[in-house]
Amino acid sequence: METSSEILAPANIEIQPLVGTPLVIAIIICIFTGVIGGAACSAVVTVSLPASLMLGGIYGLVFAVLSHRRSVSPGAGLIWGLGFALLLWLVVPAGVVHVIAEGMSAIGRVDSLRAQFPQLVAYVLLFGMPLGMVLGIWGGLRVRPTQSTFSFRRALVAGGLAGCFGGWVFGRWMDKVDLFPVIGGLVNSHTRVSGLAVHSLVAMVIGASFGLLFQSDIRGYGSSLGWGVTYGILWWFLGPMTILPLLEGRPLDWSYQHGGALFGSFVGHIVYGLIVGLIYAVADRFWVGFFTDSDPINREPEGPGARTMYSLGWGAAASLAGGLLFSIVMLATGALPRVARLVGGTSPLLGFVVHLVISAIIGMSYGLLFRREAPDKGSGVAWGLLYGLVWWFLGPLTLYPVLLGGSLTWTTQAAGLALPSLIGHLMYGAATALAFLVLERRHDEWVRLDPRLAAREVRLRRPIGTPAPAIWLFVLGLGVLLPILLG
Amino acid sequence: MIGLLSGFVSSFVLATTLESIPVAVLLGSVIGIAYVVAFRNIQRLYIDSVMTAAALGIPLWAFVSVVLFPVISGQPPQWTAEGMRTMLPQLIAWVWYGAVLGLAAETLCRITASWPGPDSILPKSPRVPTEQIVILGGGFAGMATAERLERVFGANHKVTFTLVSDTNALLFTPMLAEVAGSSLEPNHISSPLRTSLRRTQVVRGRVVGIDLEKHRVFLAMNGRSRGPSTPGDVTHELLFDHLVLALGSVTNYPSAMQNVKEFALDFKTLPDAMRIRNRVIDMFERADRESDPGRRHELLTFVIAGGGFAGVELAGALNDFARGILADFLNLRAADVRVILVHTRDRILPELSEKLGRYALERMTGRGVTFKLNDRLADACADAVVLESGEEIRTQTLVWTAGTVPNPLLRLLPINRDKRGAVIVDSTLAVPGHQGLWALGDCAACRDGKTGRPFPPTAQFAMREARAVAHNIHASFNGKELKPFRFRSRGALCVIGHHTACAELTVPFVREKAVQFSGLFAWLMWRGIYLSKLPGLDRKVRVLTDWVIELFFPRDIVQTIELHDRGAHDGNLI
Repeated sequence: METSSEILAPANIEIQPLVGTPLVIAIIICIFTGVIGGAACSAVVTVSLPASLMLGGIYGLVFAVLSHRRSVSPGAGLIWGLGFALLLWLVVPAGVVHVIAEGMSAIGRVDSLRAQFPQLVAYVLLFGMPLGMVLGIWGGLRVRPTQSTFSFRRALVAGGLAGCFGGWVFGRWMDKVDLFPVIGGLVNSHTRVSGLAVHSLVAMVIGASFGLLFQSDIRGYGSSLGWGVTYGILWWFLGPMTILPLLEGRPLDWSYQHGGALFGSFVGHIVYGLIVGLIYAVADRFWVGFFTDSDPINREPEGPGARTMYSLGWGAAASLAGGLLFSIVMLATGALPRVARLVGGTSPLLGFVVHLVISAIIGMSYGLLFRREAPDKGSGVAWGLLYGLVWWFLGPLTLYPVLLGGSLTWTTQAAGLALPSLIGHLMYGAATALAFLVLERRHDEWVRLDPRLAAREVRLRRPIGTPAPAIWLFVLGLGVLLPILLG
Repeated sequence: MIGLLSGFVSSFVLATTLESIPVAVLLGSVIGIAYVVAFRNIQRLYIDSVMTAAALGIPLWAFVSVVLFPVISGQPPQWTAEGMRTMLPQLIAWVWYGAVLGLAAETLCRITASWPGPDSILPKSPRVPTEQIVILGGGFAGMATAERLERVFGANHKVTFTLVSDTNALLFTPMLAEVAGSSLEPNHISSPLRTSLRRTQVVRGRVVGIDLEKHRVFLAMNGRSRGPSTPGDVTHELLFDHLVLALGSVTNYPSAMQNVKEFALDFKTLPDAMRIRNRVIDMFERADRESDPGRRHELLTFVIAGGGFAGVELAGALNDFARGILADFLNLRAADVRVILVHTRDRILPELSEKLGRYALERMTGRGVTFKLNDRLADACADAVVLESGEEIRTQTLVWTAGTVPNPLLRLLPINRDKRGAVIVDSTLAVPGHQGLWALGDCAACRDGKTGRPFPPTAQFAMREARAVAHNIHASFNGKELKPFRFRSRGALCVIGHHTACAELTVPFVREKAVQFSGLFAWLMWRGIYLSKLPGLDRKVRVLTDWVIELFFPRDIVQTIELHDRGAHDGNLI
């Protein structure tokens, strides 16, 4: 059976330069930013100033060369910067530095990595974030994206709404561990109510900033969720690790011990981020659907309802592959009787059935959230892995204990106990995504026969060139590494 | 090759932490190939490729180093917190490997892309379809055939499908009685063919001729869905390699009943159902201002000829409708209304068991329907019908459901037909002696290979036959063996009135064994099954909404068309 791959070939984002020779200016800006970041890094982390300045300059140069064509907005630049920072940390402080000092055998030792944890925070906040933002702002001024139209009002309203909702969920954990009085201390009122008010305000502002930064990059619910988790993790580094102690007048503590103590907040930020991403996408899609897509003039040959139903079906079918793979892990770890407790039983067989039902529901949600997000099989697998990881945070660490009548277990101990399940979740995500993509592609083969539908698919499918790879690296890297490292 | 080379080059990073260098090289090379295949060898920027591959290094570490290697070496997976911590060096190595792989693959992609020069990518030749499959008829058989063909051929562009229909929608006939009874909105039980089919060209037109020798179909495109062709018709010609005859059947009046044909209303199409509904409302409006009791009685008498599924369901629906709207007509009484069903046999619903037929008769009689069994229509005029027994029934509404025949167009074709006029087909539903000609549904005569009995002309069989035809066309397209059509009825359901139905369902794998249901449960079953079979989610929602509305509000008595003359009979007023 022949296919027409050329029709669905993903389109690169087109960039129209407004002024000439942008790379030289980008390099200068990034070297300057990198040097400032290096100086700040030297001040916060114990690194010699000249080495830090030099490294900062080099980082800025490399980042500018590699990503100046991709950093076309502050949001895109920020995400690329975060991915770049993690990769740099894994290559330089966690790798090359140790090789030079102690030889190859020192690479990746847990004590070495823990010792380098402050560097990780520094790389994210002092190199990745500023480099990305600066290059993104420069890119935003320099280029004119050809497709998306930015709506300031939509970004603020949808983002603010999403932030409020995410903050409410996060706030339930904060209330449980009695964090609100601490937050209230920022406005000199150590009461629960003032803490709740400050927290809600901050959550709303972060949500609105999410909308402002990422509106043009977000296409579907799934990618929005990925962006949200990334932004949530960034705010963990930025908020409780950095801004909060500074506002309280305490010295910065970027040690892994402090990171471990804030592990609950780490999970909370991930959950907050994914809720912000998801709610933002829902609000955003509703906005577009209500004001634009519902207009008969804009009617498409294949209605949104049809595609949604297909996606739900494909997701459910695809989840069978993922669910069966995951069940091998559950069988090996003896987790099936625990799953059966969700419906009041203890039998492994019942647990297997419950597990498959849950798999199907999550698979359907994958279908709904991640349709058209993957231009190829590899991207599909990457999104599936990310979704699997998200469900590791949502499932064993959040919903499972709550559904069994307990409370949220956002601790390093609970995360450590649930690590075997992390492998299962990643397997589930990868297999489900791959099977889903095969089913989706089979449908797309039909679609290509109709030039109108084919053109629509090309328009709606995520193109190559968005910061999705940086999100995969940042979220998968930190989502897997930190629960192991901080425990 | 790009994947193999880049994977091989990158594997030296893996070798730094893996114990066996050959394993690292082998693994690195295989993953390199998989990476390039998965990402379709499309040129990206270096940063895209490096970050993507580095990110995938993390799950690879989890699957390979944490689970696979320990299991292969006979140890449990290292997925505890402590086990994973000891594996962290390999995590770093996997991320590095990924980054280098991404860099190498991208570099090689760029080199190979520029190697032969920009002219190396030749434009693909335009697609020329080689086989044209034409389906005549947009009923259950035709529509199901088109859907099935789309499925079995998938995205194969070497074949085109064309469906010719005299209407642009598929009518869901099981719910037609509810339209006549004003329970459902007419549009809600019709699905547009164009939105239901993905790649089939839908042509609205009437088939006026078929040249089997030259493989051509002639259409009249006069803008009307029915009626004879006129000199002003625009004709259109379609070529075919495979032709599927799914032309269905038309209402049949015996030659001796030309008066009946003149004065009876048909009950086969959506306009027919709308016409019946409007006739009933019209009769009530006229009866309401009628002072003569005899004349009023005549206006409110509705006669249905035929006690099969269509006649019984229509009688039940009209009875409910007529007695329900009495509340809106202050001058009329229940005794004025008569719904009479005339049937030639001694029991109604011959398709079901005698017990269910008797049940239906009793329940419908109890609800006010009058039955004239072992009798038949002899004559009709504008205000009366005469039965063969000599009884005259004063009425202005007669509905004919007592017979159909295969589409008369088939008589023009040089092919064998049975005494009904249906095309005789072999067990594969192919027309013998005519390559690429197939027939199914009401217009085909096919016999069960085991019992020798003809398959009944029902929608259930038509849809199953459609699967067989599509499969066999696909098989002949690919030079494979054709499959004979085999199917056993799943059963039958019939609504006989408010919240009441009869159902007879066959027991799977047990021949001649059926279970029977009646009453509310059967009615719920009827609604559930037919709602699920109604094509299109939007239609399902609309019908479900209609049913819910019907629970709380009276049936609509808005008269949408005027029907005082016979001109409406041709469909010109619809």
